[in-house]
Amino acid sequence: MAMQFKRTKHKGREQSLMMEPMIDCVFLLLIFFMVSAVMRTPPPFTVTLPESATRHEFPRKKFNLFISTDGRVSFDDLEMMTLDHMELFLSAHENQITTLIIKADRRAKHGVVIDVMERAKRRFSRIEGQEIALAVAEN
Amino acid sequence: MPEARGPSGMTRQAARERKKPKLDMAPMIDIVFLLLIFFMVSTSFAPMPGIRVQLPPPGKPNPNKPKGLIVRIANPEPGQLEGTMILDDEIVGLNEMFTQFIHAKEEIKNMLIIQSERDVLHEQIIHIMDIAKQAGIDKIGFAVVARE
Repeated sequence: MAMQFKRTKHKGREQSLMMEPMIDCVFLLLIFFMVSAVMRTPPPFTVTLPESATRHEFPRKKFNLFISTDGRVSFDDLEMMTLDHMELFLSAHENQITTLIIKADRRAKHGVVIDVMERAKRRFSRIEGQEIALAVAEN
Repeated sequence: MPEARGPSGMTRQAARERKKPKLDMAPMIDIVFLLLIFFMVSTSFAPMPGIRVQLPPPGKPNPNKPKGLIVRIANPEPGQLEGTMILDDEIVGLNEMFTQFIHAKEEIKNMLIIQSERDVLHEQIIHIMDIAKQAGIDKIGFAVVARE
């Protein structure tokens, strides 16, 4: 039979696994994940997001704004000492931000959130298509 | 048929086999797999849920008083998480708010204005925004004190 003939033919040679296609695939996947990965940069304080039934969806990007319970504001892992610093930082990166996601703690004070939104609005309303979103908890 | 021999006296096939460079692939593949698994685990493709806040157009705010439902929220009492909410001069709870919004007059139903004190918790505001969106109110405004 043909099968048996093949087997006897291969028996003498060293058995080798075809590695190249697998390596190609693995490299491709690796590069894809490396390029698409957005590294999480946690803020220096913990933030528990509020819950909401209505929600829109936004892509995860760099430059998120975090607001803590005691009113501290941080841009990713960089804490902002004053709101003026925040506005400066925002204006330095405004071309890289399309949606500014404000992740305010559920126990954060509304006054601070409004202050931050007002500052962001001052920077943002100049460029077309930029928007602000208030992050809510995932479930 | 006699085999053709090279200068070293080996058969051609034997010479080719000896010259074949052997790359040790196993450690490289180990590392590549490790990196792959790291990136696969650390990447999250799920989008971030949030509530969109539409910004008013640039320029001076509209001097005309906007028409809409007005919810006033007082600072929460010490030890409490929710501040008192007032809608149409009546104290309302979060549970009644949805029906209040649904039965509001048509001409003011398109907009909700939240007049809140500074120490009200963010959670309560999000909750009211959530209820308003569920009741079909698209426009939500925050009342602020004008600053020079």
